[in-house]
Amino acid sequence: MKLKNLSEKITKSFKSSGFTLSEPAVLLDSEYIIQRSGENFKRLMITFKDDDGTDMCLRPDLTVASCINYLKGKAESKIYYSGQAYRRSGSSKGKLINEQLGIEIFGSKNKLQDDFMVIKTIIGAVKKVKSKKITVKVGDISLFKKLIKSLEMPERWKLRLIRHFWRPVYFEELLKRLEKNSDIDQVAFDIDSKKFDEMKKMNKDKIIASRTIQEILTRFNKKIKDPRSFNEGKKIVNIIRSFLKIDCSLSELDQSLLFFIKKNNLKKNIFEDLKSIKNLKKLNQKIKFNTNFGREIEYYTGIVFEIYVDSKEVARGGRYDDLLKSLGAKKNLQAVGAAINLNNII
Amino acid sequence: MNNLITIGLPSKGRLKEKSLDFFNKNNLTILSSNKERNYFATIKNKPNIKIIYLHAKEIIQRLGDGTLDIGISGLDLLNESEKNLQEKIEIKMKLNFGGANLVVAVPNDWIDVQTIADLEEIAFDIRLKKNVRLRVATKYPNLTNNFLISKGVTQYRLISSLGATETYPFIGSSEIITDITSTGKTLEDNNLRILKDGLILKSTACLFTSKASASKLKVLLKLISKKN
Repeated sequence: MKLKNLSEKITKSFKSSGFTLSEPAVLLDSEYIIQRSGENFKRLMITFKDDDGTDMCLRPDLTVASCINYLKGKAESKIYYSGQAYRRSGSSKGKLINEQLGIEIFGSKNKLQDDFMVIKTIIGAVKKVKSKKITVKVGDISLFKKLIKSLEMPERWKLRLIRHFWRPVYFEELLKRLEKNSDIDQVAFDIDSKKFDEMKKMNKDKIIASRTIQEILTRFNKKIKDPRSFNEGKKIVNIIRSFLKIDCSLSELDQSLLFFIKKNNLKKNIFEDLKSIKNLKKLNQKIKFNTNFGREIEYYTGIVFEIYVDSKEVARGGRYDDLLKSLGAKKNLQAVGAAINLNNII
Repeated sequence: MNNLITIGLPSKGRLKEKSLDFFNKNNLTILSSNKERNYFATIKNKPNIKIIYLHAKEIIQRLGDGTLDIGISGLDLLNESEKNLQEKIEIKMKLNFGGANLVVAVPNDWIDVQTIADLEEIAFDIRLKKNVRLRVATKYPNLTNNFLISKGVTQYRLISSLGATETYPFIGSSEIITDITSTGKTLEDNNLRILKDGLILKSTACLFTSKASASKLKVLLKLISKKN
C-alpha cells in the first residue's frame, strides 16, 4: 500500500473515533524545547538560526509540537495529527525523517476511559492497514515509583533512582553503586561550620546565583542529617532487578505481582491502581505485561504501551501527566496519546 | 613544493614563548622577522619549513583542513572540537607546558554543593520548583555536555561564553560555570569553588600533526623525538 493511502486510511479511522485534526507548527523555538528537554536532547534536534538570529528547530517530536499547538489555543483537546518529525537518531544508519500519525487527549480527566480510548483507537487504526496478527505490550511507569517509595533507603537514593529511571544506561550504573553501598557522593562531606555560622547571620533572602541563602542553608542542614552509611544496598538492588524482570501475560498480572511482593516481603498494597491496565482485557487481544520498557522517553508518567505486527514495533504511546505543565500550562493538565510509526508499517 | 612543511604556533603569551623554546631546544632555531607584528617565521637551515603564528584554536582548525602540517596547541581545544576534525589530527607528543584543568565551579557560598552528585540534585530541584534549568556558562560546550551527562546531570542548559566566564553567576547570566584554570586563582578571586569531583579534563600543550601529512613529516619528527 502506498504511503498516502495508508495514512488516509489511518486518519479516517482516527476521525471516526472522534479525534479532530491538529496541525502543529513545523518550526519551533529551540530555546523552548531545550528548556524542557535539556542539552542532551539538543544534539538530536535539527537546528538553525533564522534571519533575526533566533535559534529554531524542526519539530523533533509530534507529541511535543501538538502540546505547544494546544497550549496556544490552536487545537481541540482530543486531536489527531499526521506529519513528519525530524530528529537525528545518533547513528549514521538511522532515519532523520519519521512519518508519524498519532492521537492525543489533552486535559484527560477520566484516566480509565481515556487510556482505553487511545489504545483501542490505535489498535483499530493499525488493523485497518495490517491484517496480520497484532500483539500489545503494556507497562506502567508509575509502578516503579511506587516500588521505590515503599523501600527502606535514604531519601537521596530514592530520588536518584526515580529521576534516572528513564535513562537505562546511567540507571544501571546507579544500581551497581548502590549494590556496593558506594554512594556516588564518595567524597566525605566537609562541614564548613565556620562558613555555615557566618551565613546564618546573613539576610536569608539574599540571592546567590539564583538561590537564596535560605535555600542553601536548608539543603545544607538536610544533607548533614541524611545518613551516609547504608548497608541494605545489595538487597534493594535485588528487589529492583527482580521487579524489572516481571514479564507475563495480562491474565497473570495479579498473580505475578503478588508473587513478587511475597517473595520480597513487601507491603501488599504497594501497586494499587492497576485498573487502566486490567481494563485492557476488554480488548480481546494478546497482551503482554512488562515492567521494563517505555523507559527511554522522559515524559511518560503512567501507562505505556507498544504495538507489534510480527516482531516489528509499529506504534507506541502512553500517559504523560506532567508534560503540558512543563511546557508552560498554568495548571496540571493530564494527557495520554500514541503514535503510529509509518516507516515500520510499509 | 610538496615537501614544504607548514607549522602553526600560538601567536601570544606564554604558550608562544614556551613553543619557541621547545623548537630551539630541539636545535630548530626559529628566525622571526624583524617586523614585530609579522605572522611568519622560518627555521635556520630548513628552507622547506614555514612557521605561521596563529590563535591556538585556529591551529586545530587549520590542522584539520590541511593548511598546517604540524602545530602546537592545547589538548582542551582539540577535545572540544568536532569529531570529524579530531579524526584528522594526531597527538604526537604531550608537552611539559601549558598545563591547565577544565573544571566545574560553583559560587563559594553554595556550601551545600560540594560534588557533582549535589549538582545533579539541585539541578532537579530548580527544575521542579521553578520550571527552569540550571544554567552552565562555558567556553567548552562539547566537553561540558559529555561530562555532565555522563555524571547524571541532565537538567541544565548551556550558556556560551567568550570570556570572563567567572563573572556569569554573579551578574545573573548563569548559575555555575565550567572553565579552564591553571592555578585556580582567578576562580578563587571571583568567589568560585571547584567541585571536589569536578575535573573534566587535565589539559596540556601538545604537538599535533595532520594525519594527511604523515609521510612528509617523518624526517622532521625523528629529529624532534630524538631530543625528547
